[in-house]
Amino acid sequence: MSRGSGAGYDRHITIFSPEGRLFQVEYAFKAVKAAGITSIGVRGKDSVCVVTQKKVPDKLLDQSSVSHLFPVTKYLGLLATGITADSRSLVTQARNEAAEFRFQYGYEMPADILAKWIADKSQVYTQHAYMRPLGVVAMVLGIDEERGPLLYKCDPAGHFYGHKATSAGVKEQEAINFLEKKMKENPAFTYDETVQTAISALQSVLQEDFKATEIEVGVVRADNPIFRSLETEEIEEHLTAISERD
Amino acid sequence: MGDSQYSFSLTTFSPSGKLVQIEHALTAVGSGQTSLGIKASNGVVIATEKKLPSILVDEASVQKIQHLTPNIGTVYSGMGPDFRVLVRKSRKQAEQYLRLYKEPIPVTQLVRETATVMQEFTQSGGVRPFGVSLLVAGYDDKGPQLYQVDPSGSYFSWKASAMGKNVSNAKTFLEKRYTEDMELDDAIHTAILTLKEGFEGEISSKNIEIGKIGADKIFRVLTPAEIDDYLAEVE
Repeated sequence: MSRGSGAGYDRHITIFSPEGRLFQVEYAFKAVKAAGITSIGVRGKDSVCVVTQKKVPDKLLDQSSVSHLFPVTKYLGLLATGITADSRSLVTQARNEAAEFRFQYGYEMPADILAKWIADKSQVYTQHAYMRPLGVVAMVLGIDEERGPLLYKCDPAGHFYGHKATSAGVKEQEAINFLEKKMKENPAFTYDETVQTAISALQSVLQEDFKATEIEVGVVRADNPIFRSLETEEIEEHLTAISERD
Repeated sequence: MGDSQYSFSLTTFSPSGKLVQIEHALTAVGSGQTSLGIKASNGVVIATEKKLPSILVDEASVQKIQHLTPNIGTVYSGMGPDFRVLVRKSRKQAEQYLRLYKEPIPVTQLVRETATVMQEFTQSGGVRPFGVSLLVAGYDDKGPQLYQVDPSGSYFSWKASAMGKNVSNAKTFLEKRYTEDMELDDAIHTAILTLKEGFEGEISSKNIEIGKIGADKIFRVLTPAEIDDYLAEVE
């Protein structure tokens, strides 16, 4: 029978290390980066946009089935960065929870409540030995009736914050540095500016210009709060606008 | 609780009689952001640093000081996600007490029940201790009270206490400044000065949080504007 507490098992299950750290949680963060993609989210004055890389590793794969952008309800979107299988599991549970919320309380689940639910579930995995933390960073976006556009990020440790802009994945830190500069003066981006800031941030940190088929873009807007994934043509328009601007 | 494969405790005694997981949990608390509390003659104040990982984080979306009941509030040092779990459980316990006895739960009772939960997680199968210490501030029929609860589940009543990174400097400062007949406003000023002692960078209403409860028995988190007023008075 295996035992914990300092006998070297602090790396295998989520118990404390002598420095008070949870190694399994830290390793879960590394697993998010190991997936090899970077994602960005930006909140504007009346819209939220999330962008992620669309890497299709094999030409024989059906491109349309490769996606990290999931509608949770008609009005809430979730961008999952990390282990694909863990993401699917999380999204399935989130969809269930959002539907039950709507049934129980009679109104749509707000983005921040969903983010809190995801984060609380992640916390359970950091405290109970029988389940490992999920290797997923989830960005939840939606338009709230009272508070306007919302962008929340939830991580394997169970933290969640509202963000003006954020990033996850391989180039997370570089992207955050880029976005901090852009958002310093608290600009109030229009819809187009929001989308183009997000896409150009991704292009800048990955140092490559994308084709419309190489990225996925998801948006919610105050004048159209339904969460949707942009079509290739729309992405093309934004990419053109960005290159003409520079 | 948990899978049957883990129906043994992960927190076990070392040969020297120590519970090492609890000690590691305390280390996690000690590397958390500083928080403190002061009991005045007519109320209690609790305060904490609120340092966020990036300026991109919307600080209005984060509130570290939480209500447990209308007349009891709490703050933590350590792991935020663990704190949320304890807040939820404590709120439920307070509500169950109210439903059963038709009276608000006394502060000592709520503290005891929360501490029991924390102790259970040091002995139950397949779980680790909570990585937080709590400061619980309340005002009931017995007057203003301040309690600190540790990951082990032990709790004490304090006149003033601090936790987290800057605990030793903060406690030394509090020992010098504390007086038995301090009033709530003085306590708030002292709390701000104590936080300022070990603060890295410029203290402002955006990177600290203050909660208070007075003889009106209503626990309130101060707005940034109110914190600005107190900061100006302290200068």
